[in-house]
Amino acid sequence: MLIIAETKRVLKNFMHTHPEMGTLEMEGNQNHSETDFAIRIGGEGGEGVISAGELFAQVAARTAYQVFTYITYPAEIKGGFSMIQIRIKHEKIYSMGSTVDYLIAFNQQAYDVTIKDLKPGGTLIYDPDEVEIKEDLNAECYPIKLTKLVVDATGAKLGKNVVALGALGHLFGVEFGVLEKLIKDRYGAKGGDVIKNNLNALKAGYFTAEEGNWEKKFKLVSDTQAKEHYMLISGNEAVALGAIAAGCRFVAGYPITPATPIFETLTDLMPKVGGRAIQLEDEIASLSACIGASFAGEKAITPTSGPGLQLMGEQLNLASMLELPLVIVDVQRGGPSTGLPTKTEQSDLKFAIYGTSGEAPRVILAPSSVEDCFYQTIRAFNISERLQMPVVVLTDQSIGYRKATVRMPDLSKIIEVDNSVSGETISIPSPEKIELASRIQMDPEKLNEYKRFLDTATGVSPITSPGLKGGQYLGGGLEHDETGKASYLPDNHLKMMRKRFKKLETLTHILEKNPPEYEGPEEAKIGVIGWGSTEGAIREARMLAEQRGILFRHLHPKILSPLPESQVRNFLAGLKQVIIVEENFTGQFAHFVKAKFGIKPIEIHKSEGVPITPEEIFTGIEKVARIVDEKNIARL
Amino acid sequence: MKKTLQDYKSIIEPVWCPGCGDYGILVSIQRALLNLDIDPENIVSVSGIGCSGRLSHFLNTYSLHGTHGRAVPTALGVKAAHPELTVFAVGGDGDGLGIGGGHIAHASRKNVDMNYLLIDNQIYGLTKGQTSPTSPLGVKTKTSPHGVFEDTLDAIPIFLSYDVSFVARANGVDPKSLTQILMEAISHKGMSIVYILSPCRTFPLLDAKGLKAILQPLPEDHPTDNKMVALERAYSDQPIYTGIFYQVQKPTLEDRLQNVITKVCDNTNGGDKYSLDKVLKSFA
Repeated sequence: MLIIAETKRVLKNFMHTHPEMGTLEMEGNQNHSETDFAIRIGGEGGEGVISAGELFAQVAARTAYQVFTYITYPAEIKGGFSMIQIRIKHEKIYSMGSTVDYLIAFNQQAYDVTIKDLKPGGTLIYDPDEVEIKEDLNAECYPIKLTKLVVDATGAKLGKNVVALGALGHLFGVEFGVLEKLIKDRYGAKGGDVIKNNLNALKAGYFTAEEGNWEKKFKLVSDTQAKEHYMLISGNEAVALGAIAAGCRFVAGYPITPATPIFETLTDLMPKVGGRAIQLEDEIASLSACIGASFAGEKAITPTSGPGLQLMGEQLNLASMLELPLVIVDVQRGGPSTGLPTKTEQSDLKFAIYGTSGEAPRVILAPSSVEDCFYQTIRAFNISERLQMPVVVLTDQSIGYRKATVRMPDLSKIIEVDNSVSGETISIPSPEKIELASRIQMDPEKLNEYKRFLDTATGVSPITSPGLKGGQYLGGGLEHDETGKASYLPDNHLKMMRKRFKKLETLTHILEKNPPEYEGPEEAKIGVIGWGSTEGAIREARMLAEQRGILFRHLHPKILSPLPESQVRNFLAGLKQVIIVEENFTGQFAHFVKAKFGIKPIEIHKSEGVPITPEEIFTGIEKVARIVDEKNIARL
Repeated sequence: MKKTLQDYKSIIEPVWCPGCGDYGILVSIQRALLNLDIDPENIVSVSGIGCSGRLSHFLNTYSLHGTHGRAVPTALGVKAAHPELTVFAVGGDGDGLGIGGGHIAHASRKNVDMNYLLIDNQIYGLTKGQTSPTSPLGVKTKTSPHGVFEDTLDAIPIFLSYDVSFVARANGVDPKSLTQILMEAISHKGMSIVYILSPCRTFPLLDAKGLKAILQPLPEDHPTDNKMVALERAYSDQPIYTGIFYQVQKPTLEDRLQNVITKVCDNTNGGDKYSLDKVLKSFA
């Protein structure tokens, strides 16, 4: 019997603060427990806006605070609007937030596009030579001539971002030495002049802020323990690290925005752990190579985005037919066609679930945070190996490029599960425990009775890999019988279709045994269902709603297909209205849920290429709440 | 125990049309493997779609009958993951010169140590007679009822310009020389392509007799390390040469991957977990 006993992810464990990590020095009368602010830097693509923001995030990550970044950038290398948002909080952060406390505008466009998001009483830092403030602002305004300062300091226009970094550093009480080291680490490889110019730019910004007497509201003090216990990684990096932690030692891929950083990270790291990374000529070849590697017995992964997943369709079918484990990660971007390559959307779900000729089972997973990208990738390998089936992990641009502080995984907690025995339990990977599964091998003593595609109670057939004498078999895309021999007999086709789909039922039964994957009070009459990267925004919307006396339950399944049906029914029980939140135009998950459960949810879609915010979700929920339970809602 | 030809035959009986050239090719592969004494469990054969795609069914190897045109990148994955295996990719003229033609250039650049057998019958036989990339100009097929109006692809010069490290043409109905060439190809370290002419009995554009008339072995003193001579002889259509046109030694994909690992992998201090720990710490 194949049993993967799943335990609930204890998200709460990440919510507590870490008092052991040193104290936070504070100026003013801020309360530590209330610390939560967001900084946005906006400018033209190519001006280094994002790298300045990432460097600052790195400084912040080495304090007792948690950090969460959100990046949007144009598809072009130079030109177009580019911005980074950094949210800093004393506890775990779930979304980029709806508004910002600090806005750094490099140019007029950055100012025009984002000024509406600056909180009343917030701080605006802007280049007066570039930005004209047209309205009366309820904000503290600090002009800083970024271009002029950098030209004066270095003789060139390049390095406005470093001037801004210096100014920000001073504003948040970061010691100059800390910034200096950061610059040296980042640009060290580029040699003397680059370092010298960058340091001059840094100084120019730092001392302009000092001379301008910019008011310090917070002080970020670096904490050496934070460095040991936390990584500041993007969702894409988390996927790459998850694959390596899962024991994957083979990656084949083709660059595609916004999944390329997974592939770049893996091409760097894979050989460092003795694995193999190969760039191929297209996505079809990439998945083909993964099929070959998996056939040879290896755990294999290919990262891609929607258009690439589409090209992989036929090979995905083949992997399902050959019953080979492998993991495909689709970092979704705005579609259709070339669409919005650098923007976010959750619009590949239907393709991931159904998109192949014929009917070929596969499992769809959707991590909900940067940290979750790490653990769900490991889980994807476990499920894939145990079910001998391709698993598609759906992330998206926003989660892929977002950086967050993630607790360093404890490698002593990685346990490899015996792959010769079926029937043992495998837990959902979590910081407490990481179990690694691999495919159930055919007993070498019993090869005389070996049928590669033996129809078993779970649908999973023990497998052999090349090198094992007497284990040779034929695996093919043609319909075949239990031995692998091609067969077009009607009874056989039905039998083998049942066998392959039975594996999904096996997984469903396992998922049913999990504790419910929802949060929120039992008495709530409204239920919100989301998937993937919207989890944080929905969670924050729940906090906003609770402040207004609106209660809702929040279901956020990580495995989207197959769904644990009775779990979802339990969630739906007693609800008057269900809202499904997703970032696409047509409501893909809603279609799926409607078809499966016969409900009529209210759908909140956002299809603008940018993540949905807690306030947008709250606004929708509030409208629904007025219908559902008018008298319990606080009047606005 | 000494192996016999039987050790390389699967329990599945071949289903090709009577008189098909592929029968002889199958036996030549089995004989080459027997002569080289390669254990069947250490062989992986990947095939594409078409009559030739069925070849993997009949070999007692770890066999993967995949999709149309993707045998080469699939075999690449096998070899990259487990370089100790002997790996075959098998496909026809549709597979290797039509739908999957683009993959060959890139597997060649990587010099994957695989044996790619491209079996050309100049027609889409399994689907009952449509034009292939090598169907001769003017010939009437089911999809060129008024005669083929495109030029044919000339495979050998293409592979030579990809700098495939072993390029040979063989007559599918001459098992003795085919076996010999296959043995050389399997022994070659790097990407070897054996382009095999195989007559289709049902839709005959090539036939055994005709092949015999136009084919001629390369001169005995043919220099296999001279690409220009190889190219000149590859372009010759009277006669059409068979044999090994070109063979060169260069690092295989496995060598290249292993070089990277040797350069950057530091697991001296306790193996895998140590390297993994180092990787994670680099993100702190």
